[in-house]
Amino acid sequence: MIEHSAPLLAGLALFAFSTLIGVMPMRKLIEVREAQHELRAGSASRLRQITGWTIIAFWLMTVWFLSTILGDWTVGGDLDGAIARSWLRLRILLEIAAALGEQ
Amino acid sequence: MSDAADHSALHCAACAGQCHYAPDRRALECLSCGEVYDLATPDDHLAAQEFPHDPNQTDDDPPILNTAQGHQCRNCGGEVMFTGPALSEACPYCNGPMVLHNGDAGYGTMALVPFQVTVAQAQGAVHRWATSRIAAPGDLGGIVAQASVAGLYAPFWTFDSREALEYWARYTSGSGDNRRTHSTKGRMDVVFDDLLMPASPHVTPLIRDGILHDFDPGALRPYRAGYLSGFAAERHHQSVAQGLVANAPDKDLLIRNKIKQKVAKRGVHSIRYLTDTTGIHYRRILLPVWILHYTYGGRAKKIVVSGIDGRTYGERPFSIWRMAAYSAAFTAAAMALGVFWGAAGLL
Repeated sequence: MIEHSAPLLAGLALFAFSTLIGVMPMRKLIEVREAQHELRAGSASRLRQITGWTIIAFWLMTVWFLSTILGDWTVGGDLDGAIARSWLRLRILLEIAAALGEQ
Repeated sequence: MSDAADHSALHCAACAGQCHYAPDRRALECLSCGEVYDLATPDDHLAAQEFPHDPNQTDDDPPILNTAQGHQCRNCGGEVMFTGPALSEACPYCNGPMVLHNGDAGYGTMALVPFQVTVAQAQGAVHRWATSRIAAPGDLGGIVAQASVAGLYAPFWTFDSREALEYWARYTSGSGDNRRTHSTKGRMDVVFDDLLMPASPHVTPLIRDGILHDFDPGALRPYRAGYLSGFAAERHHQSVAQGLVANAPDKDLLIRNKIKQKVAKRGVHSIRYLTDTTGIHYRRILLPVWILHYTYGGRAKKIVVSGIDGRTYGERPFSIWRMAAYSAAFTAAAMALGVFWGAAGLL
């Protein structure tokens, strides 16, 4: 019983933790949206406000990546195997994160 | 270039009543009999004139002692003058109590853009701005509606310059094991025309870029008491050299962005540059703003409306619960996609 509900419990824990952590990226997302709509195009303040938007992408990529392991674990029932199969995804994500980090 | 505004012109020629500048009529209006006086003169176009500045020359722009009494805020230290029938003598910057103080040394204002937005329009713009904020507390609109806007002529600079740049930068290409860092260098010219810079610590560059999108020098008018009547005005207290120093961080950021655009590669970093600045021209001007102060969660905030076109920007609080709800929605979407991806055995 516990073995079957473990992915669900892990999913709930991930949901709660991500919701809590996500408050900061959400604030940044709103600030970026307001800057793009309300600050003068090409102005110094707009450039400053938009800086740091990558935190939103990092947060969502992390949640997505951990969820792929949960999905694999739920179907296969093998956590170690799911983690092992996620390495390629992680490598691709790290490449994307490195590219975003250079922005 | 004088602050010696002619206050005798603020009395109605018909009934000797006090006159104030009416933004909706773009003219001076008598508060007693309603007589309207046009302030336009044939020389108004001269107000857009710019003045050259040579940083290698000694300062030929000494401050002028203002003999008229001003008002100084006990809260924030802001200094403003009230001309004619002011509606309120609270500090337009922070709403604090103000005390009279004797004239101080300041710099002459060259020109101003008169108010074109009325107090009712400004109040409406503030309310619309506050109630359209995403993830704002539910009571924000009500709190803002209880406060009222104050009209102020805020001091600004306009700067022109030509920058002859020599730059060095790095950028990256490829990914994974093929990732490489390259160096590049080049030359380019950047021209800044009418770069607006606040000359008051109370108006931040963020608020400037929120409310002043399309500055038109053609809207400048000579500095006259008639335009100021009914509004507070802050004097200029910065020398040209101080104004240029205050403008330097913005200019540096804009130059770096121009270099990034010129290099036009992914991951441009480690930018260095040398610049030869010539053709510096400036204006000391006043721009009209409506400021509304409110307090939320014990923190003082302000919303500013451009007195030229009503564009609005300001400081706002966030609702932690609404942000958490948005965060939960984004989390659920990312998790749903991830779980489906993993369950389907993709990649």
